[in-house]
Amino acid sequence: MGAFGHYLAAHLDTLKLEFWALFVGGVANGLLYGMIAVGYTLVYGVLRLINFAHSEIFMSGGFAGYFVMRYFVGAGAPPAGMSSVGLIILGVLVGGVVGAIVATILERVAYRPLRKRNAPKLAYLISAIGASYFLFNLAGKEFGHLAYATPQPYINHPVFHIFGAPVQMYFVIIFLVGLVMFTTLDRVISKTRLGRGIRAVAQDAETASLMGVNIDRTIAITFIVGGTLGGAAGFLFGLGYGVVYTMGFVPALKAFTAAVLGGIGNLRGAMIGGLILGIFESLSVVFVQAAYIDVVAFGILVTVLLVRPTGILGERLGRAA
Amino acid sequence: MKLRLNKTVAVVASSALLLLAVPAVGIASATNAAAAKPKPTYIIGYEGPLSGGNLQLGLNMVFSVELAINQANATGKLPFKLKLAKYDDQGDPTISPTQAQSAVANKKLIAIVGPAFSGATAAAEPYYSAANVATVSPSATRVTLATSNWKNFFRVVADDGVQGPADADYMVKTKSFKTIYDVNDGSAYGSGLSSAFATEATTDGATVTTATVPGTAQCSDGTASATQYTAAATQAVASKASAMFYGGYYCDLGLFLGALSSAGWTGTIMSGDGSDSSALITGTTPASAANGVLLSCACAVSTNKAFNKGFQNLANFSAVGATYAPEAYDATNTIIAAMKAVKKITRSAIVAELHKITYKGITKTIKFQADGNIAGSAIYVNQVKSGVVSQLGLE
Repeated sequence: MGAFGHYLAAHLDTLKLEFWALFVGGVANGLLYGMIAVGYTLVYGVLRLINFAHSEIFMSGGFAGYFVMRYFVGAGAPPAGMSSVGLIILGVLVGGVVGAIVATILERVAYRPLRKRNAPKLAYLISAIGASYFLFNLAGKEFGHLAYATPQPYINHPVFHIFGAPVQMYFVIIFLVGLVMFTTLDRVISKTRLGRGIRAVAQDAETASLMGVNIDRTIAITFIVGGTLGGAAGFLFGLGYGVVYTMGFVPALKAFTAAVLGGIGNLRGAMIGGLILGIFESLSVVFVQAAYIDVVAFGILVTVLLVRPTGILGERLGRAA
Repeated sequence: MKLRLNKTVAVVASSALLLLAVPAVGIASATNAAAAKPKPTYIIGYEGPLSGGNLQLGLNMVFSVELAINQANATGKLPFKLKLAKYDDQGDPTISPTQAQSAVANKKLIAIVGPAFSGATAAAEPYYSAANVATVSPSATRVTLATSNWKNFFRVVADDGVQGPADADYMVKTKSFKTIYDVNDGSAYGSGLSSAFATEATTDGATVTTATVPGTAQCSDGTASATQYTAAATQAVASKASAMFYGGYYCDLGLFLGALSSAGWTGTIMSGDGSDSSALITGTTPASAANGVLLSCACAVSTNKAFNKGFQNLANFSAVGATYAPEAYDATNTIIAAMKAVKKITRSAIVAELHKITYKGITKTIKFQADGNIAGSAIYVNQVKSGVVSQLGLE
């Protein structure tokens, strides 16, 4: 057995020991990535553009949740039981609503005027980057440049164990919220009239408008849906890692990666891409230093794109998602 | 109208007379005591940032220098009078040489408290050195400043090379930890501190496992994602180490602490001066996860009530949390002690005296090594207790 064999054997032993603990953390991160990725994928589906200001929708959801928690929980002891459940639902709602509001404003201010003037796609990109810079600098000015810990609306203890690995309350919350949001969204897009409208615009905007779909309204709703998930993800992220004006940049970049990995424009692809990215990143620390997590993440992306240039599930919001 | 004007003039004139009379009386009594010879005036200079982005640090120090000088003058026992001259270098190595030349040109100037910043010190020291002006820095910590053969260079803080090994000795020898997980954030500061810690801890007999967990983008200094801490914390717990050392800054340590508490880490955690900030507590989720964390710093927190009160009165802000204020106070008083000890006050006599002096300051006993570095342990260890950073003492 060569040096590499020894390396592998030793690390596989460690992997066996830590697999489930790392897996649980990876799924939680993956769900967060997925929730943000949905925003990228939906907007890409209908507008064929990457909303680079999505990171700031995420950030505003985080801050909204932070302020709500600071108001209701403050510096006191974390509540337990039903009040915890209530506070988390409230946080998700407020984060989602603020995310949706910011997304709507973005659509109105940064995109719609360009769309009305038939601007080239490059203009959207610059407009998005400008909006992003404006928003996070505004947050830095208004809320300060320090990182703030979100007051905890629950006691973070292991709820149950999977194969000996503790599953913390924080992860349980992400699993539940993520699951509810993904199932609802999947249903809405594939089964409802609204979802049909979004898919129709994604497939062929011009034809859809001839068929009586209100394009402006559909695009606005798409932004609202993506903003809601992004804002809610911001709140959940803030619960675990605190909030700061630059919090959106890297998670959103990861989520964008997840969206491309799963197939940009494809709703289920965004969720699956998020999960794969989260889990692989987490497990990779057994083999490489945490410093190389990003190398692993983008390594996976490049490998997948080499084999399947349109991502794992392909680019197809237009067809039944 | 005319009458009123005359009245005003009279009042002003008489108060002016009164003002003149008071020092006149003072001089008169001094004349009687010291046989008609007026006290000579000497100047102690301060060089550091007094404008620009690092103003606060400079204010912390200059108020301390002023306080020490005022107190020394107020005792009335000095055979000379002291004055303060301020030289604003903005902490900038391109400005400090001109300030140094202007200080050196002042014939009454005997010694300098400062320069405050390492870069500015390196740039100014050739001028001070050529003129034999002693410089006692409260805050310049670059290692090479003491190895550049400047006989006039002194500092009352430990240098950057001291902290990592001192922290290792504290954890292994004082606290008896045998297995330590040593994490750095990948920055020049963090990895330097961490590797100095690892080397010394291994020499002391501990088993050290090292890991790099890079700084995150949300903490301004890195590019990584905060989500990495979940996996990093799992790794730390799996290492079964009884203690952890973190080389990095408070913001990322705060994120890591939250994840560590989630992952069930129970060991003792120590970090260096990069994390020694109350912002560590505000940035930790939940804040209670920061409790018990040990933080080392070359800087002291003043517990001297008289100094704290005097500083507050003069500066209008608290000395607690005013980084390097106690050090600046000690540096000034050491210079004054040297001036009292020499027969004839000259620049070179003060330099020679500072090499011999032992002065009991409010931060520690000030005694210099031959290279100008402070002798003995000069690293303080603080601990987060119930959400407040409090000083435990010298390591």
